[in-house]
Amino acid sequence: MNFFRITLTRSAIGLPRRTTDVLKSLGLKKRMGTVFHPVSQDIAGKIMRVKELVEVREIHLERKPDPGYYVEKRSTAEFLEQRGQ
Amino acid sequence: MFKPSSPLFGGLLWKTPWRISSPQKARQRKRLRAVDQVVDTVSAALARQGQSTKSINRWYDEMPREQEMLPKDKYTIFDKKERRYRKSIHKLPKWTRVSQRVNPPGF
Repeated sequence: MNFFRITLTRSAIGLPRRTTDVLKSLGLKKRMGTVFHPVSQDIAGKIMRVKELVEVREIHLERKPDPGYYVEKRSTAEFLEQRGQ
Repeated sequence: MFKPSSPLFGGLLWKTPWRISSPQKARQRKRLRAVDQVVDTVSAALARQGQSTKSINRWYDEMPREQEMLPKDKYTIFDKKERRYRKSIHKLPKWTRVSQRVNPPGF
């Protein structure tokens, strides 16, 4: 699943009320705040309303928490794996 | 120290320079490119899912990119009250945060 990484780089102070409301609905409150949203048409439309104020990147990987364990391997296999990377 | 000058002394006298400076122009180009880039990113992300949005399609149909714009359109805007119908873009309220790229038909 792909995500938009949206950062508010310009504040909406002094801009029309609806601009602020769009930012609020995206979850952006302060400048340099970052939010993640799945790539979808409604999020794209919201970004288009505030395109002058934000910086957008597409994130391909789903963020996963650290599993808290690791699987032991033979040292040869581990070495070759690291070499391959 | 108070230094008497017309803007400080004369109450409501705000001075906006007639010309836009070259660093201001450079920053304006940078902002135009930044907006282009946001639209491209969003459009590419949607296209990867086989989707599109009306607002993005309209933007691509109607708005020129920074590289395609004439200097006249980058740094000045139409104003019916102005001589020769053009004024510098930094007279536009909130000009660093609005997209102003095209002219009315015939201008």
